[in-house]
Amino acid sequence: MKDKNTDKLFREKLLDYEQQPPAYLLENVLAGASAARRNRRIVFWRAAGVAAALLLAFVAGWQLNYLNNETVKQPIVTSQNSSVKTKEGINDVINKSIGSNKIQGAKENGNKFSGTKDSGIMGQMTSRITHPEENTLIESMRTSQNEKSAMLHPLKTITRPIEINNHFKPILQVKKYNKLIADKPELTNDQEIIKQNKQLLRVKNETRKNAHWLVGAQVSPAYSVNRSSHSPQYESNMLNSSSQSPVELGGGLSVEYKRGKRWSLQSGVYYAGLGQSSENPSSSSTNLFAKADKGSEFFNAPVSIEASKMMINSSAGVIQMNGIPAGIVLGTNLEDKSLTTAVVVSDASFIQNFQYIEIPLYLRYTILDARFDVDLIGGLSSNVLVGNQTFMQTSSGKSQVGKTQDMQGLNYSGTFGLGLKYGLSKRIFLNVEPRIKYFLRSLNSNPAVNYKPYTIGVYSGISYQF
Amino acid sequence: MEDFKSIISECIAGSQKAQAKLYHHFAPKMFGVCLRYAKDATEAEDNLQDGFIKVFANLKSFRQEGSFEGWIRRIMINGSLEKFRKLHLMYPVEDVEIYDSVNVSDDVIAKISADELVKLIQELPPRYRMVFNLYVIEGLSHQEIAKEMSITQGTSKSNLARAREIMKKKVHHIFGEINAQNNYMA
Repeated sequence: MKDKNTDKLFREKLLDYEQQPPAYLLENVLAGASAARRNRRIVFWRAAGVAAALLLAFVAGWQLNYLNNETVKQPIVTSQNSSVKTKEGINDVINKSIGSNKIQGAKENGNKFSGTKDSGIMGQMTSRITHPEENTLIESMRTSQNEKSAMLHPLKTITRPIEINNHFKPILQVKKYNKLIADKPELTNDQEIIKQNKQLLRVKNETRKNAHWLVGAQVSPAYSVNRSSHSPQYESNMLNSSSQSPVELGGGLSVEYKRGKRWSLQSGVYYAGLGQSSENPSSSSTNLFAKADKGSEFFNAPVSIEASKMMINSSAGVIQMNGIPAGIVLGTNLEDKSLTTAVVVSDASFIQNFQYIEIPLYLRYTILDARFDVDLIGGLSSNVLVGNQTFMQTSSGKSQVGKTQDMQGLNYSGTFGLGLKYGLSKRIFLNVEPRIKYFLRSLNSNPAVNYKPYTIGVYSGISYQF
Repeated sequence: MEDFKSIISECIAGSQKAQAKLYHHFAPKMFGVCLRYAKDATEAEDNLQDGFIKVFANLKSFRQEGSFEGWIRRIMINGSLEKFRKLHLMYPVEDVEIYDSVNVSDDVIAKISADELVKLIQELPPRYRMVFNLYVIEGLSHQEIAKEMSITQGTSKSNLARAREIMKKKVHHIFGEINAQNNYMA
């Protein structure tokens, strides 16, 4: 009881205690308020800029997809196998394509050309054309950080002294000490209004409390794993898929909106590379005969040559080369009529590279909120094709030889993974995110090709919270 | 309240004249609040400055229905709490203990000026000062204080008891009159 009386004395003296602050503080307050106002504008324009960039990216993706759909062509190699039926037919096509003009041109440039008779499997003539040229403090401090804004952290019962009950009565007495009896009805109304105001403010503050944005940049090496199926006819004329796929580098900017402790939504713009490697089997005569005897698999990749352009089937789709690549050995004038115009005889691997602009929409759930935050990530991405090249690797080097036909301009992928986040400071975080991405439909529109690879990448980067 | 509506609107619009007017009206009382929660006048000035910047930045969120002064007061106190959380998280936890107590007559306390009491409060250890202000002046319960300061209710009670004792001893030391007693509990 004694303490209550003492407390009451303290309260009476201090509740309405006033002191004039130094005059210079006003200037600082006005300057600070003005700066805060400018900062809010900057944040607004930044957010607007990100939104505009995302919108533009979507529109660009849509347009690209529209343009690519206009130029989709059907596969050539598969249909040509059946169309070339006679020896004369084969010879005609060869004559039109790599016939005298090409070979003659190679001779004139000083390149070696040799025609040899092969009575074995290959048929009648093997043309050899060579070219010399080669072508990513402490848990309590974290808590403090989340509660940083005073406005965002509700002091729920600061207005409690004006509630009328036994516990708070003393405070009321202090606040309106000289007018307690006379103003009682007015106090009741005031009390109700303040109570409502307190509740509304609390709800609003709680809503804002945990909402914040993160922007970041990430890079990742991405390993592509081939996942494809093909029609039997297409497959019979197809290059071997290499067991070794190239590792591509990707990365980009991310924007994350976190509401509450657990859930957040992430988007951004990423550049993602995808690689596919295919090989032609060895051309040594020993291997050719050995495989022929077993009657197994193809041992040379058939090609189609039309209008001086060579086409060859790969697991990702038909590779259309700009011409007949230098440094490759072709077998033409084939005796086996079921085959197409020529086969690749020399050792060669074909590397198909595809570049995508990825616009993801990921949902993140924080399963561990500790020194290391651990998130579960899942979501969908729109992938806009922006690059399509094919390279040929031979003993003489690597050169770009063409592109892959019928690639879809826009595709969708699903992603899931884990996100590890470590706070370097109050606002800066280090992220490491192993993710698996798989395409939802074939990347190639050729009906004979169902190419849906998946990529494994470890995205690492940095993010800034505001 | 009506008087402030137009000033608030002008402040939201960015009028420095209106901001200065609002500041001049509330600054003395709010500086009094900040002084109670700070260790000295410099810290109180910082808190007052930061508090008013937040007030002006968040005026839009104030629904012009309740006590405007109460709203500003909450911002000032929350600012002090926030600073406490940042700077004193590693403060050792204490349990309820029994302290030797002194008894100071209420008449003595009644004769002490508010300025002198504020100075005594400022000399309290940070967490004692926070708990004392929140419980004695603002009227929060130990449960609420525990939640706001991320401490246990027992610690809050212990801190309050200790704060009271320190205050009484200081009052006794400066203003005389002592009656020894034992076992003061919150």
